[in-house]
Order: sequence, then structure tokens, then C-alpha cells
Amino acid sequence: MDYFGQLLANGLVLGAIYALTAVAFTLVYGVVRLVNFAFGELFMLGAFLTTSLMLPEVRLLGTVVPMPGFPLPIAALGAIVVTGIIGVVVDRIAYRPLRNAPRLAPLITSIAVSVVLQSLAQTIWGAEELRFPQFYLATLEPVVLFDSIYLSVMDLVVMATAIVAMLGLSLFIARSSLGRAMRASAEDQTAAMLVGIPVNRVVAAAFAIGSGFAALAGLLYAQTYGFAHSSMGFLPGLKALTAAVLGGIGSVPGAALGGLILGLVEALGAGYLPNGTAWKDAISFVLLVGLLYLRPQGLLGRPELNSAGRGSLLGGASSAGVGWLQAVFARFDALLTRGAAAGTPAAFGLLAVAVVVGLMVPSDYWLRILTMVVIYGMLASGLNVIVGFAGLLDLGFVAFWAVGSYLTSILFVLVLKDGYGIAPQEVWWLLYLNLPLAGLLAAGFAVLLGTPTLKLRGDYLAIMTLGFGEIVRVVAINWMDLTNGPMGIRGIPAPNLFGISLGSPRAQFFFALALAVVVVFAVARLVRSYVGRAWVAIREDEEAAEAMGVPTARYKLYAYAASGFVGGFVGVFYAHSQQYISPLNFSLFENILLLMLVVLGGLGTFIGPFVGALIWIAFLQLALDLPFVQAYPETRFALLGVVLIVLMVFRPQGLAASARVGLTMPGARAKEAA
Amino acid sequence: MTALLEARQVVVRFGGLEAVGGLDMAVARGAIHGLIGPNGAGKTTVLNVLTGFIRPTAGRLVFDGEEIGGLNVNGFARRGLARTFQNIRLFGAMTVLESVLVGAHQRFSSSAPALIFGGRAARAAERAMIARAHELLTFVGLGREVVDRVATTLSYGHQRRVEIARALMSSPKLLLLDEPLAGMNALEKQEIADLVRQVRAQGIAVLLIEHDMQIVRSLCDHLTVLEYGKRLADGAPEKVLSDPAVQAAYLGRTR
Ligand SMILES: Nc1ncnc2c1ncn2[C@@H]1O[C@H](COP(=O)(O)OP(=O)(O)OP(=O)(O)O)[C@@H](O)[C@H]1O
Ligand SMILES: [Mg+2]
Repeated sequence: MDYFGQLLANGLVLGAIYALTAVAFTLVYGVVRLVNFAFGELFMLGAFLTTSLMLPEVRLLGTVVPMPGFPLPIAALGAIVVTGIIGVVVDRIAYRPLRNAPRLAPLITSIAVSVVLQSLAQTIWGAEELRFPQFYLATLEPVVLFDSIYLSVMDLVVMATAIVAMLGLSLFIARSSLGRAMRASAEDQTAAMLVGIPVNRVVAAAFAIGSGFAALAGLLYAQTYGFAHSSMGFLPGLKALTAAVLGGIGSVPGAALGGLILGLVEALGAGYLPNGTAWKDAISFVLLVGLLYLRPQGLLGRPELNSAGRGSLLGGASSAGVGWLQAVFARFDALLTRGAAAGTPAAFGLLAVAVVVGLMVPSDYWLRILTMVVIYGMLASGLNVIVGFAGLLDLGFVAFWAVGSYLTSILFVLVLKDGYGIAPQEVWWLLYLNLPLAGLLAAGFAVLLGTPTLKLRGDYLAIMTLGFGEIVRVVAINWMDLTNGPMGIRGIPAPNLFGISLGSPRAQFFFALALAVVVVFAVARLVRSYVGRAWVAIREDEEAAEAMGVPTARYKLYAYAASGFVGGFVGVFYAHSQQYISPLNFSLFENILLLMLVVLGGLGTFIGPFVGALIWIAFLQLALDLPFVQAYPETRFALLGVVLIVLMVFRPQGLAASARVGLTMPGARAKEAA
Repeated sequence: MTALLEARQVVVRFGGLEAVGGLDMAVARGAIHGLIGPNGAGKTTVLNVLTGFIRPTAGRLVFDGEEIGGLNVNGFARRGLARTFQNIRLFGAMTVLESVLVGAHQRFSSSAPALIFGGRAARAAERAMIARAHELLTFVGLGREVVDRVATTLSYGHQRRVEIARALMSSPKLLLLDEPLAGMNALEKQEIADLVRQVRAQGIAVLLIEHDMQIVRSLCDHLTVLEYGKRLADGAPEKVLSDPAVQAAYLGRTR
């Protein structure tokens, strides 16, 4: 009883925090149908601002700045107000221009905003934890219930605050005119606009309140666990999103219920399952995945939210932008259109350029960078199959990449070398076997993960795949016997051909290039056939595709399989080229980065993923030369985020979108003209 | 000879609303069958049932002697039912040729390796279908110049024709058209009507939803009239259109 009671108490505290953040997701989703990933970061800002305001002095940007040292309630209030304002400003700058944009644009933008806020926070407050100060309430004796359950006064304060905040919000929505307007917009935005509800003001209010709730949750979290840190918002943000979905996104009582359930399940799971604390993150995501499978609308949600956004994912050029910028783009587009029309010769031209570059570049340093460009370009190409062509927003792609990397590393290092004492050079050929083998394994894995997602659409699909990706990562960390856990696997041999090591940077570059040729060729052949046409048809209008006789469920699985194959295939080379892998290599951030690369370059094009990879990696290097980036390295992620936000507003279709991919077999058209 | 498509006692309820109430209907082989009725009568709903888009609350569907009620949408298409939509639904970002080729999806069967390694059969199938797509585009009255344009950028009338070509691409036994003449001028209407006759001449039955009574009278072999989801009349056009109940229904609508 006492153990159970203690877990229950922990679960309630955690649940209260999740519930408050879940309200933020739910409120904004209800009004604008946007999963604002940035709430995790607003949560973190709430924690930092409160902590800073309570301290006598804080190091900001490396210099010690005197602070007011407010008591907790005043500091908290200040933090909530400031975060609320930040939320509104973010909406005004980044989201409002995208209200009628293609459906992927706001989601990508919200991810970019997260990246910007997180790296700014790290720049300002540094990479260290900021300790939450001692204050009077926290020094009080804990309350003891039933002689055995210890509840600190602050735990009670956390729960009480959550309850009061939720009740206050419910009252506000039910009684105030703004609250009622909010509910009306959530029901039907067009209708709300027609009857004269100021939708922009309602949305701003939802962002203000949501951000305030996230900040409140963040500061309570910081208080409970004793620190603030720039990456602290990430996992709680995902969990809160899970809670919101669990309760039924769009429903405030649902968010409260979802948060509570998630907090309790996590606390009890951590307490009772063998090695539960290590697995507790997986518990939440398993719950999420299971629920989305069985009841996608969540416990209290409405089913229509799982509806397909018809129309293009990202297509549709933006008309925004100054004249000269548009002129530059027009030039660039004409070039790309011509290149794409040339097809195979253009591809050979690009390959020739890559070969020449590979031969000419003198420094190992730049060869390594170029190899990374090719690797990321290939991975992004794999992701592009599922997202760009089939239109399924997959945030779990890294899992397929991880499957490939781990398969080859486990075989070479843990089994053959450590288990049987076989030196990698003796079995160099295994690498070439592993490439297709890992591809097939990852493809099978992708189909397995893809099957339960078939019923889901749009944002729900993204959230479910994200859940899968996280589960795979937690498994990789915790299944010590298989993966070596967080230590990762060292000593993965460099690629080798007939006993000749291909470990030099130049050899690796050409190895990567050869694989890229294989990947692009195979993907292009599939896309330029009835299979690719079925994918694009599904992306553009799933129901119409089905009516034309396309078994859409099967073709979605094919897209997963193709995407998974590329992930696994490239993953093998990645492991051998890095020679060390750990679960950190396969985080959600990597998946988001890949997604950004594809979007940056242009979804649904062959060259887009490589353009995206080249720009990103070149950008990283060039940014390192800027003085303020040298002083604050984290700002380069913020810069990337800003670039992406700007791109979403001015060119949502991506840079190389004009390199449109034909969907008929190349040879078949040439004959017909003759 | 049995009917090509038979619907028996089909009921569709949306929540409390009964959109279709116990409809019996049979489309004969090689016929142009008109489905008419006032706005909101349930015509589109019936077409959605006949193409698998909506699972009826009750009732049976028999197509070409086979029970098809339990199939999913692509199963209906594979059995030979092809449709167009009241609000045109072409695939954005696809060219006319590519969109039309999607209609032939079920006629491709090459495996992934055959596609990747460029199998001869895969190439031949693609060529044959592209040739067929060109034929059908000419058949619906579209010239070569539109073939490589993005379908959604064409004029309304042309988009309609692309949609019909896409549906015909699957070599259906029954083509279901939901108000293909809506929003067209008299000349275009005549052209599409002629097109429908030519489709029938190829042995493909047509189910047509249409409001223009003159066209309906001259074009259809058989009419089914719906009102409030119920069958009001059924039979030869002359007989049905002179039925006082039908006339009342239409007068009721204009009033
Ligand atoms: N998905 C749906 N959910 C709820 N009600 C529906 C749905 N689809 C149609 N209805 C209702 O069913 C009735 C019949 O609609 P339907 O679209 O079939 O009529 P129609 O005869 O095609 O009309 P029109 O000539 O305007 O196209 C209408 O009252 C409509 O509002
Ligand atoms: Mg209709």
C-alpha cells in the first residue's frame, strides 16, 4: 500500500504537469488544427524565466546579470505572462501567414520554431542545468498520509494549481465571450468567420493561454525536479501531446484526463515493471500507439479530426515575396525545369560533377563533409518516398535507419568479433551482403510499423509514427544485450573490398556516391511507373485513387517498405563510415532534420533531398565562420530554423520543386513520339 | 438476360437522416440509365453506394451476377465500376496523361524488381497503356497539346473530359457519371451527350445523373426518379417524364 500510494502521489504530480501542457496542445489544435510542437519549448522557457526571476543573479550569454530574486508566485506570474506574449508573437510571425498554406507547412514551421527557441535558450542560459532555488514552501515538512505516503507541500501546490487552472479555463471557455468565440471557431472556423467572430483574435488568445499553461507546467516541473535546462521541454512536450491525443485532441477535459492517465501509468509502470524507470518513456508511447490504433479520436475526441487533408502536402507556390527574390527564383526554376525535362542526361551530368568534385577536393575535412551530404541526401531520399511521393508524414523513419546500422554493427562487432573472435577483414564481404539484407529487414519492419497506421491520416499519422520512432530508440537504449545500450557499439570496421580498406575519406566519398546512384536509380524506377503514380494519387486524393482501382492500403505499405529499404540500406554504410553508433544517432531530432532537408529541397523530387542536404551541411560549415556563431555555436540551429520558417512563408514548395518528376517510364514516352 | 447491376432494398442513413430509403434499381447491360430527382434527393448518395464509397445501412448489390456489397472501394473498381465525381476530383500536381494512367492501375502487374531492372514486360505494359491513354484522350475530345499539362490547370470542361477518360481507362463495364453536364454551355452539353452515346456503342453501360430534362429525354434508355431517397418512378423516359407524380416533384422544386 505505501509503495503503491507513493507511486500514486508521484503519478498525480506528473499527471498534473502533463495535463497542463496537454491543454496547450489541445487549445491551439482545436482552434487552428495545428500541432504546435513548440509548446515543449515554451514549457522550457517558463521554467527558465521563473528560475531566473527567483535567483539573485544569473549567467546570461556568459555574463553574470543581477536578477530581482522574486518569490515564487511573482516570478511564476512574470514567466507565464512573458511566455504567453512569446507564444502570441510566434503565432503572429510564423503561423499566421500560413493559415491557408498547404497542410505540411505549419507543422514543419512549428518544428522549426522549436529548434529556434531551444537553441536560443541554450545560447542564453548555456548548456548547463540551472538549479531551481530553495524557497520557503519547499522547506516545509512533507505531509504524511496513511502513515506512509510522503507528499511535499509543493506536490500539493502543484496539484492544486493544476486543478484551479483547469477549472478557471473551463469557466472562461463556458462563460466569457472570447471563450465562447473560441469554442465556436473550434467547431467550424468558416462558419465562425461568417458570423463575424474575429478569428485572428481568437487564435491569438488560444496561443496566449496555451503558452501560459505550458509555462506554468514548465515551472512546476522545474520546481519538482529541481532544475531548468534547454532540452528539458522535449520529452514532456511529446508526452503532453500524447496526453492530448489520448484524451482526444481538441477537448479540454480530454487533455486533463489524458494527462492524469499518462502520469499515473508512467509512475506505476516505472514502479512495478521490471527495470521500469528505464522503460517508462516507452510505456507512454506504447500507450499512444495502441490507443491511436484502437480509437484514433482519443477518449473524449471527435472522430472527424482524423480526416484526410485533401490537396497538396506542400505544393502551391507562394505569392509572397519581394520582386527581385521572385525573379531569382524564376531563373532558378527555369533551370531546374529544363534539367528535370532532360531526365537521365541531367542525372549523369550531376553525377559527373560529383565525381569531379570528389577527385579535386584536396582536404580530408571537406571530403568527410561531402560524404555526410551524400549520406543525408540518401536518407532524405528514402524519407521522401513516404512523405514526398505517398504523402504520409512519417516521423519514425530513423527507426529504419537504425535497423540497418545496428544489424551490421551487431553482426560485425558483437557477434563475429567479440563472440567468435573473427577479424572484420576476414569477412569483409559480409558488408555487401548486409546492404540488401538490412534493406529487406528494415522494409519488413516498416511494413510491420506501417500496418497499424493505415487508418490514420494527417497529423495523427505523424504522431503515431513519432511514437514508433521513440519506442525503437528507447529499446535501443535499454536492450543492453542486443545493442550495448547507451554506450553504443565501437570499432565498426571501415568498408573494405577484397581486403583493401576503403577507409580513406576519398574512398568513402566514392563509396557513398556509388550507393547514392543505386538508391536514386531504384527509387526513380519505382516512382516513374504505375507504382509512383499510385503513390502520388494517394497523396493528392486518397479516395479518388481508391475509386480508380488503386488498393491504397497496399500501396501505402509499399511506400513504407521502399522507404524502409532505403533507410536500412543506407544505415549499413552509415555505421561503417562512422565506425561508432549509439542510440543518440537515431533521435527524433535526426528524423526532423531529414524531414527538413526534404522540405528545404523540395518534396516529391529526386534532387530535392540532395539539395537540402547540401545546403544544410554547407550552411553549418559557413555559419561556423561567423563571429557570433563561433561565440555561440548553438545559434546555427536557430539560424537554420529561421531559414526554414522564412522558406515556409515565401517558398513552401521547397527550393528545387521545379525539378518536377515525370511519372511515366522514360523509354515508353520516347517511342510514342516517334 | 439479367441486369448488369442490381440494387435491392438499399437503405442509407446518416445519423437520423434517411438519405436512401429501400431503393430497388436495376441497370441493364448496354443501357444509358438516367438517375434524376430534385436537389438533395439522394442521387449522389446512391452513386456512392453503387461504387462502394458508402456502405449502405441495409440492402444488397449484385453486379454481373456477383454479390459485391462487402468489397472495398477498389474492389468495386476492379469488378468494372468506374465513376466521375460531382465536384471534379483530379489529382493535383499530375499531368493529364499521368492522371489518366492512374485509371489503368489494375491493368499493371509488374513486380518491383521488374520495374527497377527494366523488365521487357513492364516496359511493354507501360507503352500499351500510354497508347491507350492517348486514344481515350482523343476519344473524349482532347488534343495532344493538353497531354503534358497539369490536369488541374485545364478549363472546367476539359477537366470533366479528363475525368471521363480516366474512368474509361479501367475498361469498365459500367460508367457512373455524376452530373457531367453541370456548368456547361449548350454546345458542350451536346458534345458530352454524344460522347456518352459513343461509350454505350462500345458496350459500356452508363449511369448518368442529370438535371437537364431535354438531354435526359433524348439520351437515356431508362430512368429512375428519386425523391427524398425513395423511388418515385422507374421506366422508359417518355412514360416516366409524363408521370404526374414526377412532374409534381419537379414543379415542387422550382416553386
Ligand atoms: N456524408 C453525409 N452525411 C450526412 N448527410 C449527407 C451526407 N451525404 C449526403 N447527405 C444528405 O443526404 C441527402 C442526399 O444528398 P445527395 O448528395 O445524395 O443528393 P443529390 O440528389 O445528389 O443532390 P444534388 O442534386 O444537389 O447533387 C441530402 O440531404 C444530404 O444533405
Ligand atoms: Mg449530387
